[in-house]
Amino acid sequence: MRGHGFLLANHVPGNSVLHRTPLWAKFVLVAGCGAASFLIVDWLVSAVVFAVMCGLFLLSGAGAQRLLRALWLMAPVLLLIGLFQWWQLGGPTAARIVLNVLVCVVAASVLTATTPVQDLLDGVAGLARPFRRFGADPERFALTIAVMLRSIPFIAGTFADVRDAARARGLERNPRALVLPVFISTVAYARQTGDALAARGLGDAEDDGGR
Amino acid sequence: MIELKDVSVRVTVDGQDAPKTLLDGVDLDLAERRIGVIGANGSGKSTLLRLLNGLVLPSEGSVCVNGAGTVDHVRKVRSQVGFVFTDPLSQLVMPTGREDVELSLRRSVKNAAERTARAESVLARFGLLHLADQSIYELSGGERQLLALAAVLAVEPTVLVLDEPSTLLDLRNKELLRRTVAALPQQVVMSTHDLELALDMDRVLVVDNAGVVFDGGPAAAVEHYRALCAASFEGAP
Repeated sequence: MRGHGFLLANHVPGNSVLHRTPLWAKFVLVAGCGAASFLIVDWLVSAVVFAVMCGLFLLSGAGAQRLLRALWLMAPVLLLIGLFQWWQLGGPTAARIVLNVLVCVVAASVLTATTPVQDLLDGVAGLARPFRRFGADPERFALTIAVMLRSIPFIAGTFADVRDAARARGLERNPRALVLPVFISTVAYARQTGDALAARGLGDAEDDGGR
Repeated sequence: MIELKDVSVRVTVDGQDAPKTLLDGVDLDLAERRIGVIGANGSGKSTLLRLLNGLVLPSEGSVCVNGAGTVDHVRKVRSQVGFVFTDPLSQLVMPTGREDVELSLRRSVKNAAERTARAESVLARFGLLHLADQSIYELSGGERQLLALAAVLAVEPTVLVLDEPSTLLDLRNKELLRRTVAALPQQVVMSTHDLELALDMDRVLVVDNAGVVFDGGPAAAVEHYRALCAASFEGAP
């Protein structure tokens, strides 16, 4: 599999204001952006929020190249969403929806770029701790985030590989030649990941009586 | 000590009425320090290895590691049996080596600073500390395989199972892996197509057609395997 895109979810070491910001504040930022995507109704406001988030990202020192790469990876999906919404609801609504998704992507990138993964996992496990009384295992929440961070770049890389393979066979215009192999690879990858986690005893319940 | 008692593994296959037998009636006591498993692709080697850590459960019979059964005490078994896959990229979960080793330690070491120190010590032991913060995709095949090994050994299992660990490695990295494995204090059970590696073992099992067809010293086992391969070509053009 190709190596590109795999720095998408990586932590970028640094000492910026964002690096020094407590994790809870960054969680609030991401949650706030998610909530804002439902509340903002004007595409101009979305554009301003998007610009602010891009500014924050650049402030982290992760670099414009990484920001563009994160956005570029989303481009095909956002293009489809944008065109569909434009057709259904008009240009301003389509622009607002696409910009709101981008705001969430950049906010999540700010979080992952400025927080070491282990701190992020500790934070998620900490947030999930109150659910312990209902039988939930906080470490499983953390593991879910770890697997998600791993999976997004893998799937993006698989898509690029499959697209190249389809091009090599002259099938780049055939959606089936693109979608099916990505789908099959993703399912196989999910199974491999499950096996790898199980083999390392990760994801086993903490108090399963030795099972 | 690993004990397999009359173990069979059968799986249902879509479109077929009868289940497919992956292993049939395997009886083994594995106590030697270095045990090799050789055989053709699809012979049942990986199934045999996956039984040892509970990744595959027996359809009949039982598998016990130091007295703990893989069906009833899978967590205990997995804490004792580390498993290394052929492709380290299937195994490494986190973006960098340091993070992956720390992930292994999350259950056993709750303090973050202590976890980082332990991870660094494990990486240093395998000569990987200088690569700790590099993306796993930027590492060479040998470095990745060593990292996968380090992540598994971080939790100090007593048994290490390696499923064809040298298949994707070049000659130099194979040699590096061979030396690393030879120096480990753990009991090692390893499947391989590399017959030179098999000759380093104390005991070698030859797996063919869902069963263990030879069990003995490495030289005799390799000879038996070669004879099996030669016999499969008899009558072929």
